[in-house]
Amino acid sequence: MKKIVFDDNGRKHVGAVAKQGSTTWFSFGGEVWTHEAEVRGRRGKVSASAADPSTITAPMPGKIVKVVSEVGTSVKGGDVVIVMEAMKMEYTLKAAADGVVKSVNCLAGDQVALGATLVLLELKT
Amino acid sequence: MSTISRSPAKRIQTIAIANRGEVAVRIIHACRELGIRTVLLHSEADVGTRAYRMADNRVCIGPAATAESYLSISKNVNGALAAGAQAVHPGFGFLSENADFAEAVIQAGMIFIGPKPASIRAVGDKISAKKIVAAAKAPAVPGYMGDDQRIENLVEEATKIGFPVIVKAAAGGGGRGMKVIRSKAEAPEQIASAQREGLAAFGSAVVFLEKYLDRAKHIEFQIFGDSFGEVSYLFERECSVQRRHQKIIEEALSPSLTPELRRDMGEAAVRLAQSANYEGAGTVEFLLQDGKFYFLEMNTRLQVEHPVTEMVLGVDLVKAQILNAAREFQVWAQESLVAHGHAIECRVYAENPYLGGIPSTGKLLGVEWPEGPGRRFETGFEAGDEITPYYDPMIAKVIVWDESRLRAIKKMNATLAQSLVLGVHTNIPFVMAMLAHPEFVEGSMTTQFVGTHFTQESGIGLAPRARTEIEKQFEKIALESADLGGDSNGRSLVHSPAGAIQKPWLGDAWRNV
Repeated sequence: MKKIVFDDNGRKHVGAVAKQGSTTWFSFGGEVWTHEAEVRGRRGKVSASAADPSTITAPMPGKIVKVVSEVGTSVKGGDVVIVMEAMKMEYTLKAAADGVVKSVNCLAGDQVALGATLVLLELKT
Repeated sequence: MSTISRSPAKRIQTIAIANRGEVAVRIIHACRELGIRTVLLHSEADVGTRAYRMADNRVCIGPAATAESYLSISKNVNGALAAGAQAVHPGFGFLSENADFAEAVIQAGMIFIGPKPASIRAVGDKISAKKIVAAAKAPAVPGYMGDDQRIENLVEEATKIGFPVIVKAAAGGGGRGMKVIRSKAEAPEQIASAQREGLAAFGSAVVFLEKYLDRAKHIEFQIFGDSFGEVSYLFERECSVQRRHQKIIEEALSPSLTPELRRDMGEAAVRLAQSANYEGAGTVEFLLQDGKFYFLEMNTRLQVEHPVTEMVLGVDLVKAQILNAAREFQVWAQESLVAHGHAIECRVYAENPYLGGIPSTGKLLGVEWPEGPGRRFETGFEAGDEITPYYDPMIAKVIVWDESRLRAIKKMNATLAQSLVLGVHTNIPFVMAMLAHPEFVEGSMTTQFVGTHFTQESGIGLAPRARTEIEKQFEKIALESADLGGDSNGRSLVHSPAGAIQKPWLGDAWRNV
């Protein structure tokens, strides 16, 4: 960690920066954020927006508690498809759109990594 | 009154800590002051943590999974015995409210630092607690606490109480195994989820139901009983700022109690503790709505937010627990307890507030808490430590004290803004937004505060936003500085952004200080 004293019109603020591989971490004014060095062909920055409604991925590393919708089930947008547990709290993963479950790539009890594809949906068109 | 012959070290020379993280560190601090050796009973995943480095001795009791380490009674008891401990401090969470554990510790010839197993059984299990509450004539929330745990029956009982209803794991705490049911349709799934969480976190799937008060404040009273049967109340903490029943901001005292209400609630808490022959530190939680208070639950252990009570009263609850266990303690006389000033605690969680609060795990690349008058930091992690997905995501508690509530809020804001954390995201921006909210500032917040004002598409937290101008300037400078490599020993670089007036004492735009 390297501390940076930042002078804003005579008022001093202290922030910090650290590098971790291609990621640079910033801490300033209570905020923490990252910057990814440009690497062609690699997956991009972390984003809050649901990228592809036909794919349900793990939003965090954790354990699968329950697969609610098995292959072949019809789901509506907002229906719970997977129940996950991380840090002792349960999180429900919901379908982003109407569709049919095409494949389920996890079982209850599995430990999954951040970003792992858990369920693929065949979207209703 | 204290002489060498009365030193607790005579009875207790070594304390085994059946816990981890910041509470383990807190207990080590108290033990060091009392001249007692510590042995940390830890899992394989916690080798790289602050408590591990600080403890005088360590015993690895099992793998990361809590069921095979921190929740295993036999492994903790055997670890403590192997290390030659005379007493076991359970901290909070894990086995701290498990009467079987307390009993096993005592049967192995050691002292359990906490209430007697019978008291834990009486009030720790929330179902029998409600029976004691009725006997102690403390007001209770309408609910169902029967033995028929079939989901069909629970759904029916919930319908009788009237929605919204809250379902809670009987052995639970800390927001785990608790769900709000808004309608009959979602009842079966929510009840099943609470049962699963209860089983996973506390080893019991038993749940109970109660009416969900929808504009209540969470007010809890710290009580302490000594070995002579005396019980006093150490006033209250307000913990209305909660998310999924997990507390985020706590303060002492509450801005909402009149002296009369404070006395009534405090005396009800003491009656409750006395009816269970309670000894040691405990907390009686109430909900307060429309000037009426309802008993919520009693926690038979130290509370995460105990520091705010310590700050306004000038007491040390952990030392008091240890001294009491050593039979060297007389509880503070009620009339001698006078609160001074105001204290606030914020829990810093490793999570991303812009993504609905999803956990953020990884190596803590750097961390620095800004010291200053009236500031206190309780933390279990230092730079280089790993924040793992196995346990609670809390990385630190930031506590401030000042003369008034408004000054304490200002101090907390400044303290959080000056805190440096790298390698994981934290909820600090979310906490700062809550501290700045008019409802919090005026002190009228209820347990609905977070859900009402901070629900986003992604969950509870903040809406994603673009970086501000000053953040962009900082990023640019920091990035250049990071690319320069070299100095990572905490030395600083001063920089003025382009266009800013150059201060003569800064000389060049860059310099080492």
